[in-house]
Amino acid sequence: MTIPAGQPAEPAGEPAGEPARAVGRRLAGVAVWRWATDPILPVLLLAPAAVLAAARVPVLTWAVLGGLAGYSLSGSV
Amino acid sequence: MPSAPLAVFTVGLLLGGLLSGLVLAVAGGLLAPLPLAGRQVAVLAAALLGLLREAGLIAIPLPQNSRQIGQEVLRNPIRGALQFGFELGTGVRTYVSATAPYVLALGVLLAGSPRAAVLAGLGFGAGRALTPLVRQASAAPASWDALLTTRLRAIALLAGAAALIAFAVLFALSRR
Repeated sequence: MTIPAGQPAEPAGEPAGEPARAVGRRLAGVAVWRWATDPILPVLLLAPAAVLAAARVPVLTWAVLGGLAGYSLSGSV
Repeated sequence: MPSAPLAVFTVGLLLGGLLSGLVLAVAGGLLAPLPLAGRQVAVLAAALLGLLREAGLIAIPLPQNSRQIGQEVLRNPIRGALQFGFELGTGVRTYVSATAPYVLALGVLLAGSPRAAVLAGLGFGAGRALTPLVRQASAAPASWDALLTTRLRAIALLAGAAALIAFAVLFALSRR
């Protein structure tokens, strides 16, 4: 079969790239969620928050430090 | 969405933390006559020692109650979750594997502020609740547990460092 000039050749049936893109998006989503629920993330957020609170909203420092102290016992029962 | 037992467990943690905070505030009232500068230096010294311990540079045994909460507490899922959370939230019925809670407790004891005690206690309970909540959110508890084991030392170290710096900033600005 000859293809008219200027027309791209279209493969027969479903385009091969579509399922791969969906899988890629799903894997990217899993990776993002895994990062978002990493055990160290709360400390990475609370530690600077404690210092910032001490500088800007002193009364909240106690609450944030409390959260840090509580979370630092992760794994202890 | 947290399950009902997890939600009740969280409430128990908050109540336990609040109770410990209030007890420390009452006890701290007896230390109020101590000079403010001395109290602040004591907290900073404890925070520094705690950080050095977390970094493995010094060895200090942490006093703790080795009696764990009995399993019979969990016979009733909801009431057991509340009681388990409450006891865990007080911080006195658990293994204390990091120094940040001790530094916080000393800070509350010497702060002479009921408001600080309430906030610290509630914060402590909320911090303890974060562990099972994030774990549940991960939807992969087994691998999350394994990852936590590798992160524990860094978590304790960062918490210790943050406590030292935050207290230093807090005390420095309070002198203005």
